[in-house]
Amino acid sequence: MNRTTFKSSLLIAATIAVLTGCGDRLNVLPTQTIDEQNALNTSNDVAVTLIGAYDGVQSGDVLGGAFQYIPDLLGDNAEVRFGGTFGSHQEIWNKTIAKNNTQVAATWIVSYNAINRVNNVLSAIDKVDAASKARIEGEARFLRGFVYFELVKLYAKAWGNGDNATNPGVPLVLTPTRVVDASSNVKRNSVAEVYTQVIDDLTKAESLLPASNGYYATKSAAAAVLSRVYLMQLNYAGARDAANRVIMANRYKLTDTYKENFNTFLNYGGADPSETIFSIQVNQQDGGSSLNTFYGVTIGSVPGTAGRGDVRIQTKHTSSYEAGDDRGTFFTRVGSNVYSLKFVDRYGNVPLIRLAEMYLTRAEANFRLTTTTGAAPLADINLIRARALLPPLTTLTLDIAAILKERKLELMFEGHLLPDLKRTRRSVGSLAWSADALVLPIPQREIDANPNLTQNPGY
Amino acid sequence: MLLLALLTTLRVSAQDRAVTGKVTSSDDSSPLVGVSVLVKGSTQGATTDANGAYRLSIPNGPNTLVFSYVGFNRQEVAVGNRTALDVVLAIDASDLSEVVITGYGSQIKRDLTGNIAQVKAREIENMPTPSIDQALQGKAAGVYVNAGTGKLGQGVTVRVRGTSSVSASSQPLYVVDGIPVTNEDLGNYGGATNPLADINYNDVESIEILKDASAGAIYGSRAANGVVLITTKRGKAGKTNVSINFQSGVSDATKRVDFLDAKQFADFFRVAAGNRDRRSNINPADADSYTASLFGPDGFFDYYSYGTYGTAKAADYNWQDKAFQKGSINQMDLQLNGGSEKTQFYISGQYLSQNGTLIANSLERLSGRLNLDHQANKWLSVGLNMSLARTLNKRLPGDNAFSNPLQISAISPITPFEDPATGLPAGTPPGEINIPLYYNPIISINYARYAQVGYRNLLQGYAQLNLLTGLRFRSELGVDILNQQEEGYFGSQTVRNQTRAARGIGQNFYTGVLNYNTNNFFSYDRAFGVHTLNATLGMSYQQSQTKFNFVEGTQFPSDAYQRIASAATKSDGSSSETNFRFLSYFLRANYKFANKYLLSLSGRVDGSSRFGSNSRYGFFPAASAGWVLTEEGFLRENRFVSFLKVRASYGLTGNAEIGNFPQLGLFQGDAGYVGAAGQRPSQIGNPDLKWETTTQADIGIDFGLFNNRVSGEVDYYIKKTTGLLLNVQIPSTTGFATQTRNVGELENKGLEFVLNTQNVVGKFTWSTSLNLAANRNKIVNINKQVIDAGLSALTNQAREGQSIGVWWAPEYAGVDPANGNALWYKNTTNTDGSFDRTTTSVYNEAQRVVVGNPNPKLVGGITNTFSFAGFDLSVFFNGVSGNNLSFFGVGQYSSGNGIYEDNQTIDQLQAWTKENPNTDVPEARYLQRNGNQASSRYIYDGSYLRLRTVTFGYNFPKVLVNRLKMEKLRVYVSGMNLLTFTKYKGWDPEVNSDDFTGNIAQGNDFYSPPQPRTILVGLNIGF
Repeated sequence: MNRTTFKSSLLIAATIAVLTGCGDRLNVLPTQTIDEQNALNTSNDVAVTLIGAYDGVQSGDVLGGAFQYIPDLLGDNAEVRFGGTFGSHQEIWNKTIAKNNTQVAATWIVSYNAINRVNNVLSAIDKVDAASKARIEGEARFLRGFVYFELVKLYAKAWGNGDNATNPGVPLVLTPTRVVDASSNVKRNSVAEVYTQVIDDLTKAESLLPASNGYYATKSAAAAVLSRVYLMQLNYAGARDAANRVIMANRYKLTDTYKENFNTFLNYGGADPSETIFSIQVNQQDGGSSLNTFYGVTIGSVPGTAGRGDVRIQTKHTSSYEAGDDRGTFFTRVGSNVYSLKFVDRYGNVPLIRLAEMYLTRAEANFRLTTTTGAAPLADINLIRARALLPPLTTLTLDIAAILKERKLELMFEGHLLPDLKRTRRSVGSLAWSADALVLPIPQREIDANPNLTQNPGY
Repeated sequence: MLLLALLTTLRVSAQDRAVTGKVTSSDDSSPLVGVSVLVKGSTQGATTDANGAYRLSIPNGPNTLVFSYVGFNRQEVAVGNRTALDVVLAIDASDLSEVVITGYGSQIKRDLTGNIAQVKAREIENMPTPSIDQALQGKAAGVYVNAGTGKLGQGVTVRVRGTSSVSASSQPLYVVDGIPVTNEDLGNYGGATNPLADINYNDVESIEILKDASAGAIYGSRAANGVVLITTKRGKAGKTNVSINFQSGVSDATKRVDFLDAKQFADFFRVAAGNRDRRSNINPADADSYTASLFGPDGFFDYYSYGTYGTAKAADYNWQDKAFQKGSINQMDLQLNGGSEKTQFYISGQYLSQNGTLIANSLERLSGRLNLDHQANKWLSVGLNMSLARTLNKRLPGDNAFSNPLQISAISPITPFEDPATGLPAGTPPGEINIPLYYNPIISINYARYAQVGYRNLLQGYAQLNLLTGLRFRSELGVDILNQQEEGYFGSQTVRNQTRAARGIGQNFYTGVLNYNTNNFFSYDRAFGVHTLNATLGMSYQQSQTKFNFVEGTQFPSDAYQRIASAATKSDGSSSETNFRFLSYFLRANYKFANKYLLSLSGRVDGSSRFGSNSRYGFFPAASAGWVLTEEGFLRENRFVSFLKVRASYGLTGNAEIGNFPQLGLFQGDAGYVGAAGQRPSQIGNPDLKWETTTQADIGIDFGLFNNRVSGEVDYYIKKTTGLLLNVQIPSTTGFATQTRNVGELENKGLEFVLNTQNVVGKFTWSTSLNLAANRNKIVNINKQVIDAGLSALTNQAREGQSIGVWWAPEYAGVDPANGNALWYKNTTNTDGSFDRTTTSVYNEAQRVVVGNPNPKLVGGITNTFSFAGFDLSVFFNGVSGNNLSFFGVGQYSSGNGIYEDNQTIDQLQAWTKENPNTDVPEARYLQRNGNQASSRYIYDGSYLRLRTVTFGYNFPKVLVNRLKMEKLRVYVSGMNLLTFTKYKGWDPEVNSDDFTGNIAQGNDFYSPPQPRTILVGLNIGF
């Protein structure tokens, strides 16, 4: 071996020595994510997963707005007009929904994503410290029950429209997904089964949750959603009692004026008013209300307002308020259209349950049952009317139509329109309450991915 | 050849007499060094020295000498009685003797057994496009390039032999001087960015595209999409050459689309609103009527015209024109090369400044390069390549944003450009901000800015050891450093678009990619008599780290403060990091027997951090063979066929561009709820996950006719990708929408044809170069899944039995002449199995079918080059045929027969009326769907032929130039995209909307800006 070859060999040997052991370097772990095996081992792990579930339902496709505007657009009879270029929303408003409607798919997908987050929480509930276990389980069940209730109202025939035991509802998935296999191709449970699960979750939630819990779910929030579920089932006693429990808890108070309930960031820097039982939180760093997106509008003179201004309010609606009704003035004209002022705040929280609804529910149920649990129906209705600066009704003028009208105007654009029409068997324009067109299709994407799903009639 | 000559000189036996002479080039009479001179029919020979001289002993009797030299035509000369014999060799006009870079080595083209397309520097230099990938368009067979939009510095779609993946990247691997470079999208604003725009491609000597498995296998799991090897220029020993090039030009958008003018717009919507009132049983006189909402007091027309509608002040406003500007390009290049026998250098600098044809779009690049080679001693040579570039790209928002300038086309022609109350552009505060109908993009131009600055450093050092005769060891260490800063500020005036900008919003993103690579390999190159062996064995290791951070602030004191230091609320911020690594071992052996039979074997073992723990390493082998028929006796003396080679290859390559951790079941900590920390399950795992495997067979013929005046290649290939990495759609009831799995199979088959001809030679020359490629893509099996590109309703899909990206939607059947309803074919299957071709006006009743295919059937380019007496002209066309485009992104709004108030394309005037019942535009119905749903109505033919470049130049005569103490003086004019032949109705048939582009999503137009038409003049000086 001559000198050159020797030197070269040394260099090569050194290079090779440096490079051996590279094989171990292929084990690279992610930095922003962790393995699912390490994700749910401690009480804190479960608690932060619950926060993740709130984050899931916060989406504008779920409780952050879609669960309110979809039934309101679908239940509309020319009181609003959907302008703008969101064709999927216009289809819903025109009640001619294509199976591949992108909003219908998004709401389904994001709902089940949130449900999987809840199921992760519940699957590891035994890891939670005794001190917070009941609360965490209660919150998780509240969110799951709430989401399933909204899904079954939107994607399945209404309670009582045919046989609840055989009408397909939505699939009930109650455990977290770790693998995807044949069992992932779930079938739709019946409407009755879904309601049973919803009531089970919400009832347990009500018993487990604390009375006070910041802006997270409380005992009263669970009772309030239960009152809605019973109302849909025409179980007036159940609805009345649940609403009464919320009112009697005495934690919430009607705001002095109607308008104070909305635009929480502009009005209070993000805090909820005294009347709010449960809301979806929005702040500058997180969240966004799709009610703001579609109902809101940018008012040049009010910084912080925003919105596409797609839902334009027609005189058919604005003229339905009695003279002097404070709620009838909560509109603004921008350009050639009139908009509701409820959701103009870019960072406003999304109101989901207000105390006013509980009074209206208790009043209606008491009236139908001719009971006076908690208070006489007239007293409850007049409480709401007085806040709207309207004169009281009398026993002579109080009838079911007056109660339902009060309910409609008080809760307008908050997601009650279609469920209230369906449970009271009233039609939407020329469509009967039971019409196929008033039920969303199962998303085409879902039918393509899961052969066990059946499509709704009419699609 | 050279080695063979050297060896044989040692074995000379009979020395009867000597012959001497000098060999020169026909081009410039310069001496040729190292020419092989052989006595025909014997092994006796010699090579020429530094002065081109040779001396050779030849046997007595009649002798013929064979002179051969790389790059020149072989010449045979009978010696006769002469003792001195000077020879002039003519340059080989065919490219058979060109050196082709192969990845860790090189080969001459004649000896290739794999398919490698080569693009030389002169074919792309000085093109007025910022990135090299775009410059490759139409230049190489089977390489399909689609620039997507006319925005500067945007990501470009490049497909080598079709799309070979569904969910993993289908972009080729780019390797610059041996280092795989970062080429991922790193943008946080608008469409994909293009990191190749940081490379000054006037520094590039040649580009090789490895297309088949034999060529690509040496890059193993990275090669399935093809490998683009970019080799930069190097110094040459001798006099220092200086070259300066200036060019300057102007550009304009290639096309505008015709929209309604103010009167047509008003007439059209009066009808549309009236129709809707009639259908909803509303009296048009009613205050809530649709007609009143448009034309009544405070109605749409009144409001959006600032009250001018119906008055003398009413005018017609063509908003589309406002989106465009006159673009410009200015470029200056300086290149120096030279050096001594021991040390050579190449130094260059470039300044490029380009203004786009869309308002406020620009790109500015300053770059420099130093390439050094040094021969330290007989056994060691070292070198360094260094380049540094700064690229400032003022980018535009994505096509889907209201602030995309071209979306301005949707604004009503009744709306004045300026708010009469303020004199500012319509919609600018303090004026009414809800006018025009949509956000006015001009406001963003005036009150927002978004700049992306990238610093790119490519550094590579090498040392090469000559160990034994023919045996070398080379070690390369390369670093690719990319630092990118994106800074944006959106003033309070933009609040209608940036809803959080009520008091300004500022954003700052930093992305840093450190990509480090080392290659260490032996190569052996030796001839033994008629056997020639060339082998490479080595390893390579790459690690890449991407770091990202971001901060955002809102609540600025005023728009005079635009840095986040002044933001009262730091509204968002993040930092993250991701890594990947590859460890690879590779081997290649090329064997040649008697210049006739060629055999090549290669393989690579690849390990990667991206693969699941159960399958970390993969092996990718390939083999190929070639037979040069013209070396056989039966063809050797043939005057017609000067070269003929058949070759075949077969092998495996992989695709590892699957993201960094697709195999793991993951939770992510990004699920906080208004300030409380939260986590969520973010990915469902798959520990078996591995690369995609592409098996490719290729057979080809290389030919040269009439002394290689006609030469070309024909290739046929079948490329099967198995174990497709699919983001499989799973029931979302699982909580996940997709899971990454290795399932399925996809196939690309194709034919490629290259033809180069010298039509006229002599004083006047004319040559033609043509490439054509036909590719058929088919998804053979994806487990019966349907994978949706996730666009709105008219979305591309991956479906079994179809090409990737087909549109799946109801088939439009025109208009019912009786009532103006849009119709679709039912296309359902009857109970007897037949197809129901009746039509329906109920959209949901129509079965979805394949309504279009975005993959071109035929792609090609043709260049004709002429030269005469110092003048040269080059005319280059490229074209694409047989693909469809979707205009739905625009059409659902702007060709939707008046469903929305968007300005409509002119063809909507053909909408159905009782007087015009036979039309394919349905009745106009305001705010009611009538045919603007996703359907074949918006699928158009995307074929085009484009006069891509024309360059006309003049080289001043040498005598004159020398008198000016120069070597070269050239002036030229060049035009790009001067003509486009197409039936496409949109802006540009070369379209891939930046917000909707992927493997599946292709061919979608969403107000995507067209390519620029550029005319420039240039001056080139050499001394």
